[in-house]
Amino acid sequence: MVKASTTENPSQSVSPMQTFFIHLICGVGLAVGLWVAHNFYSISLISNPSRTLRLIWVTMCPLVILFYSCFRKNPEKCSYLKAVIRGVLALPIGALVNALGAIALGAPVGIQYFPKTVNWSLLMSLFTFVPAASVFGSSWEDWRRIFAHTKPNASVDYMICLPAHGAVIGAWFGAWPMPLDWERPWQEWPICVSYGAMAGYLITMVLSFVLVLPRGRQQHPKAD
Amino acid sequence: MMEMGDWWRRGKWRIMVMLTMLHIVGILIFTRGFLLTRTELPYYSNCSDVSESPCFTGQSNPYQNQSNSRCWTRPAVDRLVIIVLDALRFDFVAPSTFFKEPKPWMDKLQVLQKLASTKRSARIFKAIADPPTTSLQRLKGLTTGGLPTFIDVGNSFGAPAILEDNLIHQVDNGCIEHLLPSLYEEDWDVLIAHFLGVDHAGHILGVDSVPMIEKLEQYNEILDKVIEVLDNQSGPGGLHENTFLLVMGDHGQTINGDHGGGSAEEVETSVFAMSFKKPPPTMPSEFDTSSCEMDLDQKKTCISSFQQLDFAATVSALLGVPFPFGRCRPAVICCGQASDAGYLLFSIGRVSPELYTLGAGTWNLENNIEGNCPNQKEEEWMQNYCNVLCINSWQVKRYIDIYSASSVIGFSSEDLLHISDMYAQAEENWSCSSESLLLFKDESCYSSLPLKRKIDAYFKFLLNVAELARSKWTEFDLKMMGIGFVIILISLPIYFLAMMTKSVNGFSSLLFGDSEIFVKLVFALFMVVIRACSFLSNSYILEEGKVASFLLATTAMFKLRNSIKREKMLVEVAVHWASESDVLSSMLMLQGIGRNFIPRIIYAVGLGQLLLLAFSPLFHKDRDLESKMHLLIKTLAMLSSCSSTIIVLSGKQGPLVALVTITGGYCIMRLGNIDRGSTDKVAGILTFDPLSVTQWSLLATCLFFVTGHWCAFDGLRYGAAFIGYDEFVLVRQAILLMIDTFGFSHIIPVFGLPFLVARQKLLGHTDQDGRLLLLQLSQMYLMYGLITAASVIATILCVIIQRRHLMVWGLFAPKFVFDVVGLILTDILICLAWFYYVGRREDGTQLTTLDHRD
Repeated sequence: MVKASTTENPSQSVSPMQTFFIHLICGVGLAVGLWVAHNFYSISLISNPSRTLRLIWVTMCPLVILFYSCFRKNPEKCSYLKAVIRGVLALPIGALVNALGAIALGAPVGIQYFPKTVNWSLLMSLFTFVPAASVFGSSWEDWRRIFAHTKPNASVDYMICLPAHGAVIGAWFGAWPMPLDWERPWQEWPICVSYGAMAGYLITMVLSFVLVLPRGRQQHPKAD
Repeated sequence: MMEMGDWWRRGKWRIMVMLTMLHIVGILIFTRGFLLTRTELPYYSNCSDVSESPCFTGQSNPYQNQSNSRCWTRPAVDRLVIIVLDALRFDFVAPSTFFKEPKPWMDKLQVLQKLASTKRSARIFKAIADPPTTSLQRLKGLTTGGLPTFIDVGNSFGAPAILEDNLIHQVDNGCIEHLLPSLYEEDWDVLIAHFLGVDHAGHILGVDSVPMIEKLEQYNEILDKVIEVLDNQSGPGGLHENTFLLVMGDHGQTINGDHGGGSAEEVETSVFAMSFKKPPPTMPSEFDTSSCEMDLDQKKTCISSFQQLDFAATVSALLGVPFPFGRCRPAVICCGQASDAGYLLFSIGRVSPELYTLGAGTWNLENNIEGNCPNQKEEEWMQNYCNVLCINSWQVKRYIDIYSASSVIGFSSEDLLHISDMYAQAEENWSCSSESLLLFKDESCYSSLPLKRKIDAYFKFLLNVAELARSKWTEFDLKMMGIGFVIILISLPIYFLAMMTKSVNGFSSLLFGDSEIFVKLVFALFMVVIRACSFLSNSYILEEGKVASFLLATTAMFKLRNSIKREKMLVEVAVHWASESDVLSSMLMLQGIGRNFIPRIIYAVGLGQLLLLAFSPLFHKDRDLESKMHLLIKTLAMLSSCSSTIIVLSGKQGPLVALVTITGGYCIMRLGNIDRGSTDKVAGILTFDPLSVTQWSLLATCLFFVTGHWCAFDGLRYGAAFIGYDEFVLVRQAILLMIDTFGFSHIIPVFGLPFLVARQKLLGHTDQDGRLLLLQLSQMYLMYGLITAASVIATILCVIIQRRHLMVWGLFAPKFVFDVVGLILTDILICLAWFYYVGRREDGTQLTTLDHRD
């Protein structure tokens, strides 16, 4: 019975509890990053965006890679270590893609913006690319299914697809107040974009948990 | 179906022309309500005119015998020195004690403050200007005593370009050099010096900056010297025995150094007035509206305020020339802007009592009438003032009469009647001439009561006129604006109808059939709506180029995602977006100056090519024009003939922008192509990709900003108008400027639109495909027109909503003008392109096959 289910769904099945746990860990990681920045270094996203962003992604990076790698596809063929390495490799690649996208959309380019952009895109990479890379590896079909078609099937698909889309769309909307002449410090690149991305990420994590919940109930009697 | 198709085939170009007409009419009506224009009257005030006035009944004009230029009123001052400090904020002059907290830029013009507090003949005024607060407008308003209208702003656009190169400190050197020597000369009556330094320092660095303070300190020194010179010569028989000095700003500025709007900081400027004759007695207290404060040295300084509108009339009254200035001998020295103070028009201003008092000559000091009246001088002054007001009112009345007779948009008859009533009321009491006053000289003193009543009546009349004029000339005609807006709005459903005409049942297939196209259409509409909403905020208008680029990149990513969905890996990822937004902004350099004849040859070749293309269908009627290759070739030919001129005009950045255009266009095309690959021959009404056209239009918008233009009159690249020519011919240079401004953003995109179709299916060569191609092309043009019209409608709506916005003249109105011109141009270009690409083929009989197919 267990074997049959793995052939159907090659990735490890994820229960709603596990989804909740993973999302909670990621959310807590984000919060811890902000909290550490605020209390230990007494900086915030507004006062020192690049250092704060770095703190956040450094805190979140191990959590995301290690926990998502548990749900890797084809766990028989692919060792845990390999999944972790895939995640680590995906971090700079995803950051590059995110940075290029941001610049195409009008993010400022220049020496003084460089560290900010780098840290921001690393964080965005953690939100979007790294989980997918840890779970799917280089399976083009799965990537296309998640990011182009937006057709998540399994629970783990929801866990990857929704937060990633949420972060990107949140960041896109987060850029809207930037040109306004309110002259607030948070209108600078990449502060409000980061806020938007984080907000989108958190909201869609809740959403993905809600969507996974009924699936778990369906699968549970089947697994029995 | 046949009739439908018939109408469609025949009517298509008519629809295009009709839409163009509709837009033009709507825009004209809207503009009439929004951009208020004032007819300028080609009349000048003359000395002899005054005999028509009722003010000298029963006696000949006592001043007519004097010199020609001094006639209307008794000249109160002989000479007038006006020093205009551009963008002089009120708090530059007034003592800091008048404000809540002292700022670093206050109390820098201490010479003026000291004089105002110690001498009775000097006083600081707060002058309130009418927006828009740009210099030319204000100078015009100052000298004519009229209210500014928006159209004039256009006239001042040349000035900033000329002056931009100058450093702040060089700006005023010419002024300083000439001002002091001129003071010793005798050949002028009015001397105007216009200093621009403060304005420049404000524009470049803001008010709270070191250069600004240095500038003010420098002015302090200059003014000190000027006053010293004038003071030395002010003794009896001296050159400046009866000279009047005015130091004034034409408008204020915000802390950032901007001006043009209607905020208190911008409209409040100051005037310092000083007479070098014996200090006059205090004025009748009932006319004194000043507020007094202690200054830093604990001396009392009084500041009164007046409307800038009244300036011209008051100065004319002081000089005794027809209101406002007739022909005196003006000595306008410097700077940058030409002031034509010599010949000016009518005024609706009122002679300000406070400013008028300062002119020592208004006091009859020579006449020592014996009597024991304690306030006889005051009475005399009031009589004098009343006389002046009488002429003033008469002149205003005459202006209103002539204006409403000659102008199309005059005042309503009720308003005119009201004004006439009030004028009659003011007149009827009694004349203020001394003769009639003698009747009341029962006692040894004049009775001042009737005089006061009369002055009050004049005041009432003049204030009413000013109010009326303000409401007419500075307020909007909402009805006209509404009608214009609705007319333009009507064009939107027409676009939709025209696009849908092919088949009615196609609409349902759009909604339920092909979800792919539907999603794209929704996305495209979403983009257009976002862009439209962004016009509501002035910040988004300022950053419009970035907004367009943001949306363009978003659509590109959306399409990229779609194409990945279709299993087609894209090599040419939209790299060009990046290059476009960043590389080019740093490329706004000086343009190359070629020899004149090279550009001219290029113009000629371009024009020749265009003519050849336009007439070529006449010679090749028999050729089979159906193939796509032909369309492609035609497009290429058209583009090559247009682009050479445009690229030359764009200067150094031209080729680069052209490269970007090609890359951008190619990317859009490829994305559209890949997308199309699988959905071959989409049945239904939308035979094209709506997103591609949206992208095309966004790209056009981006190009406008990338080429270094922005929606402001000083965003026009005047240099482009002179490429190939040295001398200025209005029409020719205007055409060149137009081509430069709208070349990349309107001309090339409209003519290049067929690329989107032509590249799509190079395989099909059948007749049917040719028809489909034409249909696609026409729908694309309609879609393009729809997008342009929609964004212009959004602009218009936002302008209506924001008409009371602070930035309405600074930002929304120029944006409106640019958009409207762009829309009309796009309409016309679409018509032309339609005739060029499709025109000939649709009246043939061959097209019936298409209808049969349906």
